[in-house]
Amino acid sequence: MNQEELNNRLSKIKDKLLAFEQPLDDRIIISCESEKAYALNQFLFEDIRARFVIITGIDADDCFELLYHYSYDQTGCVITIKAIVRDRQQPQVESITPLLPAAEWIERELHDVLGIGFKNHPNLKRLILADDWPEGVYPLRKEVKK
Amino acid sequence: MSWKTWSLKKSPWVFHVNVGACNNCDIEIVNLLAPKFDVERFGIKLVGSPRHADALLVTGVGTRQAAIRLREVYRQTSKPCVVFLIGACPCGTGIFSKGYHVVGPVDNIIKEVDPNAIIAYVPGCPPKPEAIISGVVKALSIL
Repeated sequence: MNQEELNNRLSKIKDKLLAFEQPLDDRIIISCESEKAYALNQFLFEDIRARFVIITGIDADDCFELLYHYSYDQTGCVITIKAIVRDRQQPQVESITPLLPAAEWIERELHDVLGIGFKNHPNLKRLILADDWPEGVYPLRKEVKK
Repeated sequence: MSWKTWSLKKSPWVFHVNVGACNNCDIEIVNLLAPKFDVERFGIKLVGSPRHADALLVTGVGTRQAAIRLREVYRQTSKPCVVFLIGACPCGTGIFSKGYHVVGPVDNIIKEVDPNAIIAYVPGCPPKPEAIISGVVKALSIL
């Protein structure tokens, strides 16, 4: 599949998205609500057969953003799913670990530092914070100051 | 000079502790032991256990998780011992001073165990191997 065919396949799901951006030929950013993130990940991984790279978590003041990065190696295109988590009190997202075991540790890390809950994660325990770190304090949230 | 101090200065055996370094200072320490600088010709030898060591080479900023381990390693080191802080991070936390996981600088962590600990500072990011050798020589010469 070349870049044009990839663009065509992705444009078919545009109606399910909040935004579809393509700042460069080989850079695509698709935004959605967090509830649709799992289905989109499944689509990119199983249908498009893109390679999962990493998840980035951002505290964007009024919401959390989870950026799921995929690489489509045949054309070198990087596709990012921007999932917006609006509930700041109890942020919850469907875990993609059952689909992609490689996401286990990054989801555990995001749970540690941003306090995002991942539903159906098989092993959501502390990964990078110190053993004596207090429960319920998420160091990379904006309200936490040292 | 007591025989303990004499033997420490004659051939200081060092134990390397990483308490949250980025690995750059560790590479410089490995460089010291490699043939180019070869500090073993001065009797400085890297050992695998703090119980065998006369000196600790501490690199890294001193993270919350590692501070507990560093205190335990210091307790287990045979006394008298010299603590060398290698790099800008252990000397004064450097660029990581505002990090949430930082409890350093490392000299404070060591002084919680032993207020009279002998601590030598070798700043630099990373310090040159020559600077580390110079720091070791200076620290041993005032013992």
